[in-house]
Amino acid sequence: MNCRRYAYLIAALLVLPALVLADPPEAYPFVSFDEAMAQSKRDGKLLFVYFGRYGCGYCEKTNREAFVNPEVKERYTSHYVLAYVDAESGRRLRLPSGERVPERELGTRYDALVTPVFTFMTPEGKPVLRLVGVQRIEDLINADDRIQAALAKVRQP
Amino acid sequence: MKPAVIAVLFCCLPPLAAIAAPWSFDAPLAVTTPPPQTTVFHHLDSSGRRNIAAADGTVAIAWEDDGDGTPRIYLAHKAYEEARFATALQVSGANEAFEPSILALGGKRFAVAWEEDGQVWARLVQIGDAPVPGPLLKISPASGAQASLANDGDGILVVWSEREGRFGRIRALRLGTDGLNLTPGKGCPVDTVPPIDEQLYPSGAVLQGRLVVAWEDRRPRHTIIMAAIETKPASCRFSAPVRISAKPPGRNLPYGAGHGVSRVALDRVGNERLFAAWADKRDFRHGYDIWGSYYQIGEAGFEQNEIVQDDFGGLSKQHHAAVAGHDTGTLLVAWDDEREGNVDVMLSWYEAGGWSDDWPLPGASGPGLQSNPSVTLDSDGNLHAAWVERDDVDGPTRLKYGFGRINRE
Repeated sequence: MNCRRYAYLIAALLVLPALVLADPPEAYPFVSFDEAMAQSKRDGKLLFVYFGRYGCGYCEKTNREAFVNPEVKERYTSHYVLAYVDAESGRRLRLPSGERVPERELGTRYDALVTPVFTFMTPEGKPVLRLVGVQRIEDLINADDRIQAALAKVRQP
Repeated sequence: MKPAVIAVLFCCLPPLAAIAAPWSFDAPLAVTTPPPQTTVFHHLDSSGRRNIAAADGTVAIAWEDDGDGTPRIYLAHKAYEEARFATALQVSGANEAFEPSILALGGKRFAVAWEEDGQVWARLVQIGDAPVPGPLLKISPASGAQASLANDGDGILVVWSEREGRFGRIRALRLGTDGLNLTPGKGCPVDTVPPIDEQLYPSGAVLQGRLVVAWEDRRPRHTIIMAAIETKPASCRFSAPVRISAKPPGRNLPYGAGHGVSRVALDRVGNERLFAAWADKRDFRHGYDIWGSYYQIGEAGFEQNEIVQDDFGGLSKQHHAAVAGHDTGTLLVAWDDEREGNVDVMLSWYEAGGWSDDWPLPGASGPGLQSNPSVTLDSDGNLHAAWVERDDVDGPTRLKYGFGRINRE
């Protein structure tokens, strides 16, 4: 490997940590809010919406310390349709009402101006539980337990 | 004191803030009235929040709505003293269009720029018995959005974010006018160094022939406000970008890259200064606050950041800052504010070396949601404001206008 290849490799390694700063946790199938809404209606699953922000410290902390847990990953990827919203982004999406807004406006509508905010929603976009700020493994597992227990009650004949 | 006497006093005495305000407001007007039984969503969301312009006795508002099922750009106008707006003119073409910016050119001509089908477009509109649109001009070489217009003497400046590979890059273009035709002039990227992350939502203002551009920049791996200044008038050569939004002292968290900021707006104040305002989350516990900074011609950078809103706004959320400056030095900032438990439009103006107490814009506060203000001052100093009103957060919208007559001493 010549010097130039080493330089590229070092540059890539330097850039890599920066790329994960603002993103949803790795290896989770987060999609845009409107994609998730459609998928949620199709699959009959609740939405789990992660309102983050580019460079958000408490988002990164939650990613690194809670979402890395295999049980959290197994529960959230199997129980919910996962949506990620960058609360400062200009990317456009369509709300359940039909209104077209940038992601930033979605953050204001769902009161997600402090990040991270994690909101469990019905397929119609109605919030059922909000978690605000840094979450630990046990917080996420506890929230899932509460949601699943509530769903089990609703599904009882 | 008897309750009836107190009630009479309360009704007869105007609020203290209203006594001090430089403007007296007429009752707000509807800018456009959708057909009955239709659900329409109006948006005043231009980069730099320039959706209203006023000159030569005519005020015009440019917005996006989906009244016919597709988001399109419309313009409505009226004479200052008229009681209603003329029927809206569709300004954009056949495709989905967003985020229009409007500029008054004098002679009852207005320029409008917007995003349509992933590109930036512009045209002039001549106000007469009926508004007459000029030819369309494509502004972005390939793929662009988030256009904002600024006056450049007899010409026009447009700044926008052009997609270059993975990232948006801020560009500027001077436009000349010939009747209702727009003619492209000198254009360039504002930062000569290709972007290493997103450059978004620019706003521009011209000071003594030099364009000053501010925008959202993500190069430090979080969003900051940056600005660049033309080194010579009309040269399209800019200083190296400088950071405007300051890093709060004493915070070095082990995670993340830094605090968030959002959507800068600029306007000229007098002949030598301009003011930039934006939403800033340096106090991360309570959402965004409205911060700003002056720039003085000849300086390399902006002055120290200052908080625009008063102390009572500290525990609530603010966003959508809009700025209006005047040749006489009058400066005001308007924004959305949730301190009263619902969304109102608030104003603060610069007086006696500091910001006034925050003041709810008459007709744009109280029950329901009033948000997304755009403001401008005409040559006499009258304040023209537009905002979006809705009964609930998901409900249909109404587009409103308020006229604040300057109080003469």
